Amino acid sequence: MNHEQQLKLQSFLDGELPESEAREILSWTQRDGAAAALLAELKNTRAAMTQADPHLSLPESREFFWSKIEREIQRREPVAASTPEISIYTVLRRWLLPAFAVCTIVIAGLIAHFNVPKTAVETVADADTPAVETTLANSDATTYRDASEGTTLVWFSSAADDNPVPDKTPAAIN
Amino acid sequence: MSGQNYSSADDTALVKAARRGELAAFEELVFRHRDPIYARAFSMTRNEQDAIDLSQEAWIKGWQRLEQFQGDSSFTTWMTRIVINLCLDHLRRQKRHRADSIEEMDEESGGVERQMPVVTVNPTAGLERAELRKKIDGALGQLSAEHRAVLVLHEFEDMEYKEIAKTIGCSIGTVMSRLFYARRKMAALLADMRKET
Repeated sequence: MNHEQQLKLQSFLDGELPESEAREILSWTQRDGAAAALLAELKNTRAAMTQADPHLSLPESREFFWSKIEREIQRREPVAASTPEISIYTVLRRWLLPAFAVCTIVIAGLIAHFNVPKTAVETVADADTPAVETTLANSDATTYRDASEGTTLVWFSSAADDNPVPDKTPAAIN
Repeated sequence: MSGQNYSSADDTALVKAARRGELAAFEELVFRHRDPIYARAFSMTRNEQDAIDLSQEAWIKGWQRLEQFQGDSSFTTWMTRIVINLCLDHLRRQKRHRADSIEEMDEESGGVERQMPVVTVNPTAGLERAELRKKIDGALGQLSAEHRAVLVLHEFEDMEYKEIAKTIGCSIGTVMSRLFYARRKMAALLADMRKET
């Protein structure tokens, strides 16, 4: 019996042969005593093995064995945690919020800069002069205050600013 | 899921909970299946400490790959495949450190199994299961790691030749030769043991 035939015999035992070949091997083992003896030996060994899968118990306590696994899992997990998935929302929040803040400050600065009165005319009398006349640019109002008389007059300009003689109506506030 | 529920939950529910990050659910799975996973690692390596370390590593890999568990096979079968692959990697690393590679060993033994006399009397007939296990265990320990691996995958894991070849990374012919040698050697070792008793 050559090695190829021996392996065929084993394949027959393990059900690895196509049906036609399996029939041939069966017929051969019925005719050949050596083939039948080898097949019987292989069969006995296989049967003994399949009945003898060792049922061993782990020689460590549940707690001790688990503690090592748990520790190792936790040790390896931060690697994954250090590269979290970054959402679009996070990116937007990270970059847009500071950009928005900077833009707001710049716009506020520009508005403040361009709103500063360019021609504020303020006439203040001497300290001992009781009367004070103040003209505020952009306000269309002129205020006259006389401390000695206890009188304050305010002129409001009308819409017809182009008139040569301004139509000013004094209003007295006491 | 609370701690009390873990012990009454089935494997599928525990796997789902573990996938959500519940480590306690995974602990319950480890508790349930730690013995067969260790036993498989031991049958492959024949070394208690290696088997403990490899089964522990298998559980860590299991946790990391839980998303890949499709449920086509049982959780134990899936975990067993993981531990087997780790054992095979371990054996390959050991082999690189050894002077005698499997190829050399095959050449050395070249045909020895073909010359062995056929064991005509069943050497395990009439043995109690415990006694049988003890004898098989002793005989397995005398096989080379490569022959033992093929035998374990075929007889204990019910793998077909093709599947073993894929798992180990060799040809089907090599699987058949190793399996044949391993079986014949086992028969001879068991017969010797019977004579001694």
